Amino acid sequence: MGTEAMFGLTGKDFVILAADGQAAYSIIRLKNDADKIWKVGNMLFACSGPPADTANFMEFIEKNVKLNELRTGIPMSTKAAASFTRNELAHALRKGPFQADLLIGGIDNEGPSLYFMDYLASSEKVNKAAHGYGAMFTLGLMDRYWKPDLTEAEAIDIIKKCIKELETRFIVDLPGFKCKIVSKEGTKDVTL
Amino acid sequence: MQAPVEQRWSPYADNGGTCMGVAGEDFVVVAADTRLSQGYSIHTRNCSKVTQLTDKCVIASCGMKSDAITLHKHLKARMVMYEHQHRRQPSVTAIAQMLSTTLYYKRFFPYYTFNVLCGVDDEGKGAVYNYDAIGNMERVPYTTSGSGSALVMSVLDAQIAKSNQTIATPSLDKAGIVELCKDVLSSVGERDIHTGDYAEIFLIDAAGISKTEFDLKLD
Amino acid sequence: MDLLGAPKRGMFRDFAGTGAAGLPNGCDSISEARFALPAVQDPATFVETHFSPGTYEDNGKRVKFSKGTTTLAFKFKGGVIVSVDSRASQGSYIGSQTVKKVIEINPYLLGTMAGGAADCLFWERNLGMQCRIFELRNKERISVAAASKLLANTMNSYKGMGLSMGTMITGWDKKGPQLYYVDNDGTRLKADENKPYFCVGSGGTFAYGVLDTNWSFDLSDEEAIELGKRAIYHATYRDAYSGGVNNVYHVQENGWVQVYSDDTYKSHDKYSAEREAAANP
Repeated sequence: MGTEAMFGLTGKDFVILAADGQAAYSIIRLKNDADKIWKVGNMLFACSGPPADTANFMEFIEKNVKLNELRTGIPMSTKAAASFTRNELAHALRKGPFQADLLIGGIDNEGPSLYFMDYLASSEKVNKAAHGYGAMFTLGLMDRYWKPDLTEAEAIDIIKKCIKELETRFIVDLPGFKCKIVSKEGTKDVTL
Repeated sequence: MQAPVEQRWSPYADNGGTCMGVAGEDFVVVAADTRLSQGYSIHTRNCSKVTQLTDKCVIASCGMKSDAITLHKHLKARMVMYEHQHRRQPSVTAIAQMLSTTLYYKRFFPYYTFNVLCGVDDEGKGAVYNYDAIGNMERVPYTTSGSGSALVMSVLDAQIAKSNQTIATPSLDKAGIVELCKDVLSSVGERDIHTGDYAEIFLIDAAGISKTEFDLKLD
Repeated sequence: MDLLGAPKRGMFRDFAGTGAAGLPNGCDSISEARFALPAVQDPATFVETHFSPGTYEDNGKRVKFSKGTTTLAFKFKGGVIVSVDSRASQGSYIGSQTVKKVIEINPYLLGTMAGGAADCLFWERNLGMQCRIFELRNKERISVAAASKLLANTMNSYKGMGLSMGTMITGWDKKGPQLYYVDNDGTRLKADENKPYFCVGSGGTFAYGVLDTNWSFDLSDEEAIELGKRAIYHATYRDAYSGGVNNVYHVQENGWVQVYSDDTYKSHDKYSAEREAAANP
């Protein structure tokens, strides 16, 4: 668990994800506008961990999901993508793991779905999820305010509450939060 | 099931000794002692650290003798191969780069050698190259390696580079540098137990390579 | 279903196997056979424990390691400034005061050196070769993004083998001045939009202090060069592992130029005189 914050919620017909923009080396902040939320097909993958591992793993996943779509002509469902990703992590775990913690959000025929996945390849379908130290501050708030059939405006408001809580209680000032929404219309950036 | 037990001994030894190289405008001086020791025991008093590679290039290696022998043999073979392919001897600059890559290809199981490569380059200028064990290379006006290198370096900094001098002194000529090298090695022999016995001095200039020997203390 | 095949990891297999790690197809002059490996159960761990730069700081001889270093590079309206020190230390002994830590990959690409000197030197030379091959194949210069990615891929394929490299790759391509950070973990970061600079090495934190307070995008060329010198000066003043000569390069539209190279004690004379003058007007 690193000094990162990454969290997300499912809504009525969308999934919202947020992540900080810090890339660190030792105690040095090398970057504060990193984008940790990747667009993979018509889904969003938020990925935290050492920058080398996350970039390598996500590029691999993204390209293979694309390859699968080109070969089969069928876009992967969120469940299929999560299964594929989990399988890759599980295989990597016995060789020299990728230290990559993930939140996978997407929308398909089954509706919106959010998967929580850690580098040890545990995977669970959930309605709200968080990784990193940020999880300790945001999960409570999300449990308090989340409800089924959340609208986009309500969800964005919860995200804002979470970021505000991190600013007031977490001793590390995490910079450059980015927030994205995936819905039937595709993915979009949210300006907070 | 029990994991396999791996037996291991150290594949490395430090056989001591000191070498140095100083570049002049159109010549280069190489000096090295000939003691070969391990710990407190002296194996032999007469073992050269210097190998001639071409008509105007020599290499001096401190560190582990075994690796130095392997490396020098390898380099000499490469000199022959180059001459057969190109019908001329490689330049000092070419050998310098080749040595760097040769050392780096053993990056994951290095040669335990600290090399000084000296010669006269294609422009007729004196060239001295310094290396670490895995091929980091730098062309320098003067350098030293081996067990007494820290002692040698401070004298060369003062007498060759004339750094931090309060009294201006004229720069040394060819004979002056040769004498300085002898003095420095003799002095190092007084303070470094791994340096002593005899020394070889190589002078490389337009006339070719000439070798002289002189005595260090035998204790 | 190769789709589901795990990505190649576990460094040892990658370069000891059939592939030529870090090299594009048909460019396998560094073939697997050329890297000699120790004959032990797990060469990767063996190498990592015995031959990593820094492991033998005490006798300081086994692998010379320019552990201490300050290197920085920043973007501004006139291009990129690269400023570095030149000290290589082996433990407390100064191995060299004249190391060239800016590696001239080709006339329009620069790399910086921090970590293992030999690792940086070898792989950035190798990168120069890969970039040249790209040029010959594609009849155009490689982008800095692609060049830095080639190096990052190489580093990734040797992960866990004890290589040590912290470098900034910079140049000017079709999209303008570019700056990337690449290290031996395989990390590759593009410079920030609003703070487009990196400092790498033990003196990096001191240099960051100067850059964070004095950098602006609208610096003139002269001001930018001055900032580069000043940041390195403060790093060499506080960090015992940094020092020697300050080399400054300016990356411009048609290639890089070296704009400064002088001993840091001259910077000290200049800046300390300025400080005193400011303190006693």
